[in-house]
Amino acid sequence: MNAFSKVHPGVASVYFLGILLFSMFVMNPVLELLTLLGGLLFCSSLPGDKKGLGGYFGMILIMALVNPLFSHNGVTPLFFMNGNAVTLEALAYGAAMGVMLGGVLLWCRSFSLLMTSEKLVYLVGRGCPKLAVVLSSALRYVPMLKRQARRVERAQRAAGLFGPDNRADRLRASLRVWAVLVSWSLENGVETARSMAARGYGLRGRTNYGNVSFTLRDGVLLGVVAALSGGVLAGLLAGELAFSWYPALVWREPGPLGAGSYVCFGALALLPVCLEWEERIRWNYSRSKI
Amino acid sequence: MELLKVENLSFTYPGAGKKALEGVSFTLERGSFNLLCGRSGCGKSTLLRLLKRELAPYGERSGEIRYKGAPLEALEPRVSAGEIGFVTQNPEEQIVTDKVWHELAFGLENLGLPQADIRRRVGEMASYFGIQDWYHRDTDGLSGGQKQLLNLAAVMVLQPRLLLLDEPTGQLDPIAAADFMATLQKLNRELGLTILLAEHRLEEVFPIAHRVIAMEEGAILSDAPPRETAAALRGQPLAQGLPSACRIWSGLGAAEPCPMTVGEGREFLEAGYGSRRGARVCPPAAAPGEPVLEAEHIWFRYAREAPDVLRDLSLSLRRGEIFSVLGGNGTGKTTTLGVLSGLDRPYRGQVLLEGKKLRDWRGTSLYRGKLALLPQNPKTLFLRPTLREDLEEQLRAMEIPREAWPRKVAELADRLGLEDFLARHPYDLSGGEQQKCALGRLLLTEPQVLLLDEPTKGLDADFKNRFAGLLGDLRDRGKAILLVTHDVEFAAQVSDRCGLFFDGQLISQGPPQEFFSANNFYTTAASRISRTLFPNAVLCREVVALCQGETL
Amino acid sequence: MKKYVSAALLLLMVPAVVVLGATVFRDKQYAFVSLAVAVLACGAFFLSFERRETGPIRLVLLAVMTALSVAGRLLFAVLPGFKPVTAMVVLTAMYFGGEAGFLTGALTAVLSNFYFGQGPWTPFQMVTWGLLGFVAGLLRNRLKASRLFLALYGAVAGVAFSLLMDVWTAVWIDGTLTLSRYLAAVATSGGYMLLYALSNVIFLLLLRKPMGEILGRIQKKYGIT
Repeated sequence: MNAFSKVHPGVASVYFLGILLFSMFVMNPVLELLTLLGGLLFCSSLPGDKKGLGGYFGMILIMALVNPLFSHNGVTPLFFMNGNAVTLEALAYGAAMGVMLGGVLLWCRSFSLLMTSEKLVYLVGRGCPKLAVVLSSALRYVPMLKRQARRVERAQRAAGLFGPDNRADRLRASLRVWAVLVSWSLENGVETARSMAARGYGLRGRTNYGNVSFTLRDGVLLGVVAALSGGVLAGLLAGELAFSWYPALVWREPGPLGAGSYVCFGALALLPVCLEWEERIRWNYSRSKI
Repeated sequence: MELLKVENLSFTYPGAGKKALEGVSFTLERGSFNLLCGRSGCGKSTLLRLLKRELAPYGERSGEIRYKGAPLEALEPRVSAGEIGFVTQNPEEQIVTDKVWHELAFGLENLGLPQADIRRRVGEMASYFGIQDWYHRDTDGLSGGQKQLLNLAAVMVLQPRLLLLDEPTGQLDPIAAADFMATLQKLNRELGLTILLAEHRLEEVFPIAHRVIAMEEGAILSDAPPRETAAALRGQPLAQGLPSACRIWSGLGAAEPCPMTVGEGREFLEAGYGSRRGARVCPPAAAPGEPVLEAEHIWFRYAREAPDVLRDLSLSLRRGEIFSVLGGNGTGKTTTLGVLSGLDRPYRGQVLLEGKKLRDWRGTSLYRGKLALLPQNPKTLFLRPTLREDLEEQLRAMEIPREAWPRKVAELADRLGLEDFLARHPYDLSGGEQQKCALGRLLLTEPQVLLLDEPTKGLDADFKNRFAGLLGDLRDRGKAILLVTHDVEFAAQVSDRCGLFFDGQLISQGPPQEFFSANNFYTTAASRISRTLFPNAVLCREVVALCQGETL
Repeated sequence: MKKYVSAALLLLMVPAVVVLGATVFRDKQYAFVSLAVAVLACGAFFLSFERRETGPIRLVLLAVMTALSVAGRLLFAVLPGFKPVTAMVVLTAMYFGGEAGFLTGALTAVLSNFYFGQGPWTPFQMVTWGLLGFVAGLLRNRLKASRLFLALYGAVAGVAFSLLMDVWTAVWIDGTLTLSRYLAAVATSGGYMLLYALSNVIFLLLLRKPMGEILGRIQKKYGIT
């Protein structure tokens, strides 16, 4: 159980949205690196498979190397290939893209791990209750369909309906299974709909129940996220975070506002990790008192 | 005080010539536990659905249904949805949402209750039903029994006054079914909930009902307390479905009040037939055919890290015999069928069909003409809009020339009595009919070995008898039949040999008389009733015959 | 009244997004604006669905169609690109209308990405699949009338899906659409494009008749769709 998973899904979504917007659409190397760092720390603090994490670095490298093939802008040629210049700027831009992509994907991965379908259904239900029912119901059907697909496949195989093993036959067989599944599930769906109706679906004034509540802590967190995002935004609007890649790499020396923005973004990116540490310290402290 | 009153209710489905219900009248008292019994297709479901406005079928209706004195149609939508609850047979298809807690809350959301009220009611219900341990789970990961309990709880949160149930335990194994029934009884006793339950499985529930309404052909046959119902049904086909004690009593034509439970049955026999003590059934010595399907020291697991499901399983199936494998849930019965049919491959040991290893049967030669597996859910076989087309598709797969199709189909339909279903969509048939059609489809492959997975799930007594006849017929034609089942009574009736499956292997086997009389718990009600008098009678008709002094 | 307010709000969001893109996310304003518009388009469809009266059967059948296309994306995992998703979306649109088609497409993208991985591409997949469904809804009568037209639509939809997703890839990387980057993206996904088109045609032709029959049956049996 991660500390961040206890945060109200609405607050968590706002937070993720902020991080993703800044990292995806602001091409600033400091921001990108902070995103990557925050994402790495966050992702590795979450339960789940960590094997894939190394792959992100490979991707960064590939992006860096591939970009100069498409982009020949820049004033600092490193060498020439097929008569085209491979420039430092293009290489740097590619690397930054890679870092950005890696960071964004890490954050998306954390997002998927934390924003479980349950929370998604809750959030959607706040604005679109009917859509939430469709979502929840679809989520209920997916594993059932997977199971039924296996059953159908076995039943049909044992009834001698599948031909000998060759590729075309196997394709035909799986299409058959699919067709059985479609009719079975639609027929099943009607019964589900009747069960909904029997329990009063369609009455006026439906409410939306969630297993979550908005606590004071969530409120404080939302405030912090808003303030930090505001800080980043101020720097952006003032142009303090501008970074020019082409034709030459130009780094704008940040003034006090810019420096503040960088700090704000850093704090934002490291927020989940801080929450995690806070919780661990609290836990250890409460243990030690006993 | 009456809660529901039905007066002269008749109903006709659109396009149907015959009335599905005719002149049905009865009342339900507040707080009563009412049982509705009758064969499949007698109009039980139609009646129940008409009582729940949201589920009422389309068609022509006459007569009146009054709930708390007011016509059903005039009820407030909120009252109608909340106060009359409905649970149907299939646990899967009633579940709407993906999480257990959400399913519980669903009905309350519909009624528009505020968050705090929903939380309280859901919490209360989850505690009452013992759901708290799986409150946060995905609905899909639950067992069939848990799903059905969830369906019941999801209706109960609405605090209904009247609960209608349409064969709620039809798809459950005996233990889950008993749990479910116990919960129903508790709801009735503790909350004063009025219950109308349609059910085929009467052994346990019949004695505890306050009233039994028996239906036949869309009309009410009898409407009385259980003991009187048993008397009224004596000699009727419906009596086949009654508890064993009633059936024995009925078969003996005794004058005493009808015994209902195993204990009463035992007393009844001791009192009236003590003189016959010690009589034995002599089972016919079956001429053993040669073994067709042999499993030798099978070990199987689904994944490398998973535990073994089959552990050193050995069994053999002979030509011209019916072998039933019994056992609780999750002991590996269905897995055994997977391995025996070649769908799953054991990691140690082998299966031989006619002396040849299963894996050496090339491609389709195994499933076309040698071995067939009847799946637990017959719907997995059907695809076409009519049964005839489905059967023809099977014939096409068998590479039988098109000219021969009509003859083959007609022959099969005649043999199994499928004529009326040929032009219908398989999904529109009842569970028992589907089962029969699926069996028919498999028989077109002319299998020598037939493997059946829970073939009697959800069937009524009458259908089971006919199905037993069908299997006996196939056996007499020299087929080898293996079925895995929870249904002790059916296994006792149909088998030449029974085996108990436990912990991945067969731990005992023998002819049914021997097998069941040696078991104390895992045996038929007739055996439990009669074991103090007759050491090896396991069927009601055997008990009756021994009481009457016949030799078997 | 409430309806107009939310419609007006959604409309006002578009210029707001453009302004935000031009002032804050200057380097990547095209990518930002396109992403934001994708999200807004989905929002508009969702809201309009929310306003409309939808009976339980229709609602569950939409959920089932969505679940089917999600499950299809998972079950046919062996052959990447050979998926029934677009076909299911088109079929939904044919029998339940364009809005339902959009919904199925958009929800399939979100839900299946729980298994395949969420990313910045999710909103674009939502809109692309959604629009393919929506357009199929507009053409529903012709799609139902002619097998050839249906097959053609399936093929075009496969190609369109691939090309549209490539636009997004290129814009996101460069900030603007450069031809060389776009062509490279198209070239790398060309094989998939053919598979998409092929699988759409196959699934549509295979499922066209049974779907019609099943839904017809349901309509007759329960009196509603």
